[in-house]
Amino acid sequence: MFFGHPVNVARYDQQKHSIFEKIIEKQISFFWRPEEVDVSKDRVDFQKLSESEKHIFISNLKYQTLLDSIQGRSPNIAFLPIISLPELETWVETWSFFETIHSRSYTHILRNLFTDPSQIFEDIVVNQEIKKRATDISKYYDDLIFATQLWQTLGEGTHQVNGETHEINMYQLKKKLYLCMCSVNALEAIRFYVSFACTFAFAERELMEGNSKIIRLIARDENLHLTSTQHILNLWRNGKDDPEMAEIAKECEQESKDIFLTAVEQEKQWAAYLFQHGSMIGLNQEILCQYVEYIANNRMEAIGLGSPFAVSGNPLPWMNNYLSSDNVQVAPQESEISSYLVGQIDSEVDSSEFDDFDL
Amino acid sequence: MIVVKSHGEFRQQTRKTILESLEVNNLEVHTSCREGFCGACRTKLNKGSVKYITEPLAYFEDDEILPCCCVATSDIEIELS
Repeated sequence: MFFGHPVNVARYDQQKHSIFEKIIEKQISFFWRPEEVDVSKDRVDFQKLSESEKHIFISNLKYQTLLDSIQGRSPNIAFLPIISLPELETWVETWSFFETIHSRSYTHILRNLFTDPSQIFEDIVVNQEIKKRATDISKYYDDLIFATQLWQTLGEGTHQVNGETHEINMYQLKKKLYLCMCSVNALEAIRFYVSFACTFAFAERELMEGNSKIIRLIARDENLHLTSTQHILNLWRNGKDDPEMAEIAKECEQESKDIFLTAVEQEKQWAAYLFQHGSMIGLNQEILCQYVEYIANNRMEAIGLGSPFAVSGNPLPWMNNYLSSDNVQVAPQESEISSYLVGQIDSEVDSSEFDDFDL
Repeated sequence: MIVVKSHGEFRQQTRKTILESLEVNNLEVHTSCREGFCGACRTKLNKGSVKYITEPLAYFEDDEILPCCCVATSDIEIELS
């Protein structure tokens, strides 16, 4: 999949791993635009939220904006130069494109809530809580990108750059790639879900429903992205791709476990930060932390890392109503479908509406 | 018949997936997308065969099935995680 022959002609008649084309088709069938969802009622709902709830809502949006900024850009920069299968190359491009839809939808939501959302966006890069975790996410990408660039320009060997010595060989590059893929997997598997849980908890109370419809679409896409990185990791691990990657997977087992455990720990800290001014109805820090552990068990199990936490049942069973694809794409008359509800709320108010008012 | 290890025996309902057949009987199975692309419902298949009504996209091992998008074509024995 990686570090083989360059991709050359984009042909899909011969495919080594046809699963990626199937995932591309699925992803394209999911196409949506943020403007389709009417979020105008959310502005009224937002005013009704308590201060602590506003903090939860806005902080989550900020964090998700950052995650999708990273994901909209980095897979292209980090993976495309070293991919050797056209089907995988096209998948990465499709994947990134959808992340850009997500990014645009955050602006769509924020523009509706605030007359001037720039303050929110500016805080993303100075907020300590967000920065703390962002470093951990970008670290693996940066490592891989830097090493790939050295390898492409100078080849294998020991190189001096800015007074630092860098040892570049294929094994090290592959190892960096493996860890980066694990970190991407953890990002889409765990990191998004604390925010998702909060959004859907608001929706359970029939608040911020426009926003929840958008997040539901995003969650569906993220689930598919997650599936693709799980495929990559499992193909490596089971020796169905590059045999050297199977060795690396074995060698890095503890390190990849640690990536997940760190993500779980950081998400728990994020939950604490979210609820620092008070909880919200239907959700508190403890239950959210249990949910993170539940989801981590599930995700780690899926790529053969075992389930390290002692949670058996799903602590937030109602989450599945929002994550289930049925509820996103069903027959329109079954009401819950988001695309059917597009423009359901007539948000235009003309001054003539008040014509027959007398004071 | 669908035999679920240490949970008993259940009937494969007509026009229902294995997952739905189990849920009719109030058996809790981990689920998420219910369309074969998230892999949350991965279940071990000990005996029997299944047919997929939606093509599964999620990763699962050769001895596993995704009950959300398949039906049993023989008596099967599965193991819930």
